[in-house]
Amino acid sequence: MTDFIAIVIVGLGTYAFRSIFIVALAGRTIPPNVIRALEFVGPAVLSALVVALLVDESGSVVAGIPELAALAAGGFAGWRTRNLIYTVVAGMGVFWLLRIWL
Amino acid sequence: MKQAVADALPLILSAIPFALVVGLAITESGIGNFVGWTAAPIIFAGAAHLTLVTLLGAGTAVLAAITTSLVINARHLMYSAALAPTFQKQPRWFRWVGPYALIDQMFAIVFLRKDDEPKAFRTYFLSAAIAFAIFWNVFVAVGLLVGPVVPGTWNLGFAVPVMFIGIVVMGIDRYPKAVAAVVGAATSYAFASLPNRSGLLVGALLGIIAGISVDRRR
Repeated sequence: MTDFIAIVIVGLGTYAFRSIFIVALAGRTIPPNVIRALEFVGPAVLSALVVALLVDESGSVVAGIPELAALAAGGFAGWRTRNLIYTVVAGMGVFWLLRIWL
Repeated sequence: MKQAVADALPLILSAIPFALVVGLAITESGIGNFVGWTAAPIIFAGAAHLTLVTLLGAGTAVLAAITTSLVINARHLMYSAALAPTFQKQPRWFRWVGPYALIDQMFAIVFLRKDDEPKAFRTYFLSAAIAFAIFWNVFVAVGLLVGPVVPGTWNLGFAVPVMFIGIVVMGIDRYPKAVAAVVGAATSYAFASLPNRSGLLVGALLGIIAGISVDRRR
């Protein structure tokens, strides 16, 4: 139940972000400083999240060589191809290969 | 209408692995398939959905999980502001309904149509929105079905961080964003032992601050 409530809260918040200027604040503009900060939200949060997924509660790294190599491969593929399909194929391919070999 | 679907199609195709990974992450999180799936129609945003499900499953404090997911979606404020003038020419019902579907991909294609005649804009927007909504809800469900079929030893759940790193890399189009990403990751690690995984939020915040600080384009 808690999980569902969390989903509803995030859903309402997301709708609020998407609708507020269209429904309520049509005449207003976002201050340039805020727009600038919003640009960095994606890279900062998502990369912090990747790290959070690789450490346990105590802060120790739980990822080994296959994981780190897979992330490097996925990142490289994403950078070169700009395509999520290739990113996942490269990352998971390296991950599985190294797990078999190591 | 045809044009809207044709424009949406390549974006839909490239989002297929994303939807499947979200479905898969739900099956691995242990929060329950149906509850996890409801976030597809309720939140309708891949990265936030994936984040919320993964964090809730990992035993993160609920408040931290909610906050992180909301922070990820804060970028939608920009889309709302950018399209507000266009929506002023629309009927009231559409001003309320339209924003629900203002996902990244929608913004990318409808922003190019913002000066279209209001009726044409509305038809275009709704057609693309329906195409995206059907695709997303169905393919997240397909991911739910695929997840349990794959043996656990494959560790398919690792596709989650791989996907995130791809999104980060693709979003970096100038140097300050790279700084934000690197500082976000490094400080998230440095504060990783904070309770309830709150180090994630500290890292994210410091990453944003670092990006702003080195940004010379003022």
